[in-house]
Amino acid sequence: MKLNKILLISSLSLALFSCSKVTEITETDLIAGNTALKTVANCESATIGAYSGFNTIMNIQLNFTLADEVKRAEFYNAGTTHEWQYNNSDVGIRDNFTAISGVYQLIDRANRVLIALPIADSTRLGDITLKSRLRGECLFLRAAAHFDAFRYYCGPYTPAGLAMPYKETPSLDPVARITMLPFFQKLNADLAAAKLLVPNNLTDINRVNFLSVTALQARVALYMNDWTNAATFASDFITLRPLSPIAGFSGLWTDANTNELSMRIVRNTGTRLGSLFMGTSPNSSNISQVTWAPSTALLNAFDPINDVRYAAYFRTEPLLTAPRPTILINKYRGATGTVYGSSLEHVVNEKVFRTAEMVLIRAEARAELNSFTGANSAETDLNMLRAARIIGYAPVTLASKPAAIDAIMMERFKELAYEGHRFWDLKRRGLPVVRLASDAPTTAATTLPAGNFRFLLPIPLTEINVNPLIQQNPGY
Amino acid sequence: MKKFGLLLTTFMLFLGSVLAQTVTITGKVMDDKGVAIQNASVQIKGAKGGTVTGKDGSFTIKAPQNAKTLIISSVNFLKQEVAIDGKSSLMVSLANDDKTMDEVVVTGYTREKKSQFSGAATTLSGKVVEGTPMGSFDQALQGRVPGMIVNSGSGQPGASANVTIRGIQSITGAGTQPLYVVDGVPIAAGNFAALNPNDFETFNILKDASAAALYGARGGLGVIVITTKQGKSGAPNFSYRSQYGFTQAPNATNFDMMNTSEILQYEERLRLTGTPGWEYSKNNPTYAGAGATVQGRRDFLLDSLGKINSDYSKILFRQGFSFNQELDMSGGTATNKYYMSFGYFDQKGTDLASRLQRYTLRLNFEQTMGRLTLNFRNQIGYSITDFSEGEFRGNSARNAFQMAWRAKPYENPYDAQGNLIFGASTNLALKQVGNVIEGINNTVLNRTQIKLVSSLTATFKITDNLFFKNTVGIDAASEGWIRNIYANSFVGSLQTLNSGFLAEANRLNSQIVNTTSLNFNKKFGGKHEVDAGVYFETFRLYTKGSGFNLFNLDPRINETGQGAGSVPNTGSAWTQPASSAKSGYGISSLFSTLRYTFDNKYTLNASLRNDETSRILNPNNKAVITWSTGVTWNAKRESFFRDLNWLNDIKVRASYGSVPNIESVATGGFGIPGGLIGITNYLGPQMATFGATTGFVGSTITGLVPTNPGTPNLELETIEKTNFGIDLSMFNDRLRVSVDRYINRTKGLFINFATPLTGGFGGLSIPTNAGAMSNKGWEFVVAYDLVRKKDFTLSLGLNHSINTNIIESLGGVPEYQTGTGIIRAGIPFGTHFTQHYLGADPATGAPLFRDASGNPTTSLSAPQFADFGTYIPKHVGGFNLDVTYKRISISALFSYQFDVYRYNNIENWITRGVAGYHTAVNASKRLLTEQWQKPGDVKFYQSPSFDRGFNSSDIQDAKFLRFRNLNIAYNVPEIKLGGTRIIKNARFYVQMQNVAIWSPWRGPDPEDSNNISLNEFPNPRIFTTGLDIKF
Repeated sequence: MKLNKILLISSLSLALFSCSKVTEITETDLIAGNTALKTVANCESATIGAYSGFNTIMNIQLNFTLADEVKRAEFYNAGTTHEWQYNNSDVGIRDNFTAISGVYQLIDRANRVLIALPIADSTRLGDITLKSRLRGECLFLRAAAHFDAFRYYCGPYTPAGLAMPYKETPSLDPVARITMLPFFQKLNADLAAAKLLVPNNLTDINRVNFLSVTALQARVALYMNDWTNAATFASDFITLRPLSPIAGFSGLWTDANTNELSMRIVRNTGTRLGSLFMGTSPNSSNISQVTWAPSTALLNAFDPINDVRYAAYFRTEPLLTAPRPTILINKYRGATGTVYGSSLEHVVNEKVFRTAEMVLIRAEARAELNSFTGANSAETDLNMLRAARIIGYAPVTLASKPAAIDAIMMERFKELAYEGHRFWDLKRRGLPVVRLASDAPTTAATTLPAGNFRFLLPIPLTEINVNPLIQQNPGY
Repeated sequence: MKKFGLLLTTFMLFLGSVLAQTVTITGKVMDDKGVAIQNASVQIKGAKGGTVTGKDGSFTIKAPQNAKTLIISSVNFLKQEVAIDGKSSLMVSLANDDKTMDEVVVTGYTREKKSQFSGAATTLSGKVVEGTPMGSFDQALQGRVPGMIVNSGSGQPGASANVTIRGIQSITGAGTQPLYVVDGVPIAAGNFAALNPNDFETFNILKDASAAALYGARGGLGVIVITTKQGKSGAPNFSYRSQYGFTQAPNATNFDMMNTSEILQYEERLRLTGTPGWEYSKNNPTYAGAGATVQGRRDFLLDSLGKINSDYSKILFRQGFSFNQELDMSGGTATNKYYMSFGYFDQKGTDLASRLQRYTLRLNFEQTMGRLTLNFRNQIGYSITDFSEGEFRGNSARNAFQMAWRAKPYENPYDAQGNLIFGASTNLALKQVGNVIEGINNTVLNRTQIKLVSSLTATFKITDNLFFKNTVGIDAASEGWIRNIYANSFVGSLQTLNSGFLAEANRLNSQIVNTTSLNFNKKFGGKHEVDAGVYFETFRLYTKGSGFNLFNLDPRINETGQGAGSVPNTGSAWTQPASSAKSGYGISSLFSTLRYTFDNKYTLNASLRNDETSRILNPNNKAVITWSTGVTWNAKRESFFRDLNWLNDIKVRASYGSVPNIESVATGGFGIPGGLIGITNYLGPQMATFGATTGFVGSTITGLVPTNPGTPNLELETIEKTNFGIDLSMFNDRLRVSVDRYINRTKGLFINFATPLTGGFGGLSIPTNAGAMSNKGWEFVVAYDLVRKKDFTLSLGLNHSINTNIIESLGGVPEYQTGTGIIRAGIPFGTHFTQHYLGADPATGAPLFRDASGNPTTSLSAPQFADFGTYIPKHVGGFNLDVTYKRISISALFSYQFDVYRYNNIENWITRGVAGYHTAVNASKRLLTEQWQKPGDVKFYQSPSFDRGFNSSDIQDAKFLRFRNLNIAYNVPEIKLGGTRIIKNARFYVQMQNVAIWSPWRGPDPEDSNNISLNEFPNPRIFTTGLDIKF
């Protein structure tokens, strides 16, 4: 009798406690963890936060420093990078090109939104639509960041080649690199999913839309040597967003128009893109030091009179006299009328995807598919682009596939200068970096032979130390 | 060998029975309440062998016909000799032996006989705290327990000490306190002001794995198990205690502050602009051209100031009173026991405002109903604490503990009529000390607290060997805080909106535990004893609080928000000055204990516990295992020791186990406006946090980005504890010695470790289970009864412990600085890391530092060294002397620490020797003689043209020997009046706490709970006289 009572009381007290799940008590009052992204509105803020880590600046800087687009000018401290001397603990690599840090930060931000979205409270009108848009945007950002990681740290595409870790959940665990086949399967899956979720219009080109996903798909296909898809995606883009008329071209670079763009990154005085090439000047009579001048090789490639790109990309500066450099990079100088020392000097939006690149992608793909001349060929694409850039342009005929490829690579060099492509184009095509003697900082830094290990950046030592699973690139 | 010995014994007994004429004696052994005592030993005096009593207390023994006396003994009872006197049947009643209480170790879940206990534990009688005039009982444990540092950081009445058992075992968890358990209920550490220590019967301090593993993840830093008093069956006992006395500011300062004439002279020497010593000096270039009137005025002022020489330690400290009244009653019947008490404690500290008032009520009641026993133990405490405003403000010129030393002595805070002088202060017309006093007089900082510690244990005896037990316990504390700076005061006019300040806050902290167990205990075949238990426990902690602050108060009324005016609209965003928060966690545990004893000679202990807790975010790491094993060898029972008459007992212990430390996990905090309370959040640092970003311009929506990943992979640190111990008792039990050797290794020590860049946080360092730390030590206890006569006893006790802490490994992370110290592999935690100051450069007076190669350099960027010791004492101990002579008893306790070094911040200020300090700060006399003045001077302190900063010259040896307590008592015998007993006995005593301190430290108190002495509230000296009456 009594025993029964005791057992009853005890089991009741046990039940009382076990019901409260003492091992599952959460931090109810803290705006952190899952709570921080509780609503769709919070997820949109976090998506905006992810966008803040998405940019083309490091791509631009790395490609011109490591390749042949610039030559050293008045201020030079990029010896390790510009002269290909970097190693896995190099400060230059750590501070300027720790791409691994930025891309995986962006990936983490996107992943946290992707995890929070399915369970986010949708209490406002339009939240359901917004939810799928945000999911699309974050999938795109995750794919784009992974693609950049690939471009910095990996060799030309082969299915069994070593890619980078593809992270789909936030985690601090050590993580190994995977091979390119599964890497690109994940990447393309993310893009395919994103494409159906993001807005299919150009209303807001500050954020991702259908056309921008298409553009990245075309670019990815190009890097994978998937010529058919590259041509298809590029065509999709070109159809909806034709090339800028010749008259509007220079306005694209002063932000007077948004011709050709499917996506841009808006910049204010917080980030001055043009400062990559020279400092901002204290005032109009005190012109800042020039860090990088255009390489002679690049200048020589243009017809300075008839090619509108020459004036858009370069300027001869009458305010400077030798020994100061007088021909400067003009591409990111800012709005028309910008003078030295003005508050918006070097403030200009980043152009993420534009039609010219798509035309060149399609041209290269068509050439690789042996369609180098005739209707709808590399030749037509090349002529179309040049006609939109060169006054009085006379169409050319391409004699062979190698001739077509050479012409396209030269056209990419010119058209896409300082847009973050050159070094990777050379790596992708298995070409060397060859600088003119007058462009090279030292005689030793004239040529980076094709296939040299330095085409792949080293995984930083700090990462090797804490991530025992990651594999270093050969040579470091 | 053993078997042979047994055989031999049996044979001898057999032989004896054959050879001698024997008689059979039967009997029964009971306690003073008539309850049978099982397993009591019955021996014949002068003969070998014997027997033990059965379940009903009965025994049968064959004795030689010439045997005269039986010796009856049992654990917890006084040994008794009984004359046989030819009787064949004896009824023996054994008296409880309070002194043998230390023969039992109460682990909280089990009671272990010391002879079977393999762990390292110190058992203290409640008498060590009884009657000590300390608001918080833990303070009274200083110097009592080997391996335990009890350091007081504040002389505030009711302030808790900082308790460290066997060294610092965690970096992130450094300074976290051991687990306190009262009657099976875990209670919040550091919050004892509302507990009445006189209710405590015993303390058991569990130090090694074998003892602490029972508590699982919460036992990693050791456990202090407290059992409260219970009555004994019989007539009620009443006892009344009364204590009066006073607290006194310590005068133990080695500070050599300049007096008025010296500081005026020093001001003149340094030509300190704005100070009277220079502005009124005849050497001041402005003096000569100033004209007779101005000159006369200056001379007059200098002369007047020169005649003031205030002693601020008298003005800013006071003598407070200490008062205690208590009544308790205990008793019981055959089936119940009770103890109830009422206590009132009131102590004013030496700070002008500090005070603790405490009311406590206790009821302990135990009822047995057949097989069921219910034990209810409950205390309700109500405390009112006035806190020191200075201590609250910390590093502030309104902190009395700062101004007592740094204020210039030529300020007189009172005018000729005795009125306080306060208001805007300048160096020429100082009102700083006046302002401190005015501030204290017009500020209230008060906490009222209701604290409840309650437990109910039901024990059901299923069979004689099998027990079912359930304990449910609650520890709850509700606090209300208020801080009010009166609107109608000068200090009130200095607040935002110039009319006072009010902050109020409330907090409720509670812990609830339920432990259900099944225990089995049985002896088999006389020699095998098995004790086993299975336990299921659920623990839940809650914390919740709220608070607000107000400005623009109504000057007509105080300590209320009523009448508070509005806040002007400044047009900018307004932070709401009120908030609330709550948090908590839980642990669900399943564990078992096993003890096997063979022949009362060898004992094997083992325990295994699984805790699952919400304190850990990662679901895979929520479960943690604690285990331990230990062996005990009662060597005295071996034949080769049995005949050593001088050796009364020898016991060897060893234990090993692995105990996780839940306190190693960093907790976060919710801020509550007003700064009176904070609410701990237990998971915060483990969770990812987010912050706003404006990096994306292409949207009007503010971005949100993760700023810290938290510590998603976190596991608890685990301490692997090894302990060897030996206990000896010699020379008729006069000399008792215990030695323990322990090695504790913390595994998975949290180190700030870089995250992978692929983790997405740019390599941000977060606490990671990467390092290792060790604490190795020795503990010695010696007790010697020098004189053991009926009217005169003299006993001495000494305990000493040595702990060596080493950070063994940082897991590959480079060393890093924290606070004033450095975390570096191979050196102890708490090692100071700073520049090594060598003295003044004789040529220029510039400060000289040691450079990397050991040479002097005047470079201010000289390297830092870790050569200046640690602030965690390596040697800690205490000794006591107890004398009784007839009715007089004297007991004295000393405590000491050495091999400890601390920063002395006040010392830095008063010896800084530069205008930036001494324009406003009084200086040490040493600057008069030991400061560089001209080329060629070989002096320690640099020229006033240079600042030497804060460095090794401010680290001082903080060793001390403290005469902790002296108690002289007279015991009054029973008083009868006309055959009626008035009192059973009484005790009158005088007592002094913190009698004296010897230390090379400069300042009021070398003892502290941290690395740096900055504006500390020193521990007071307390004198009390007391009277305890039992009737």
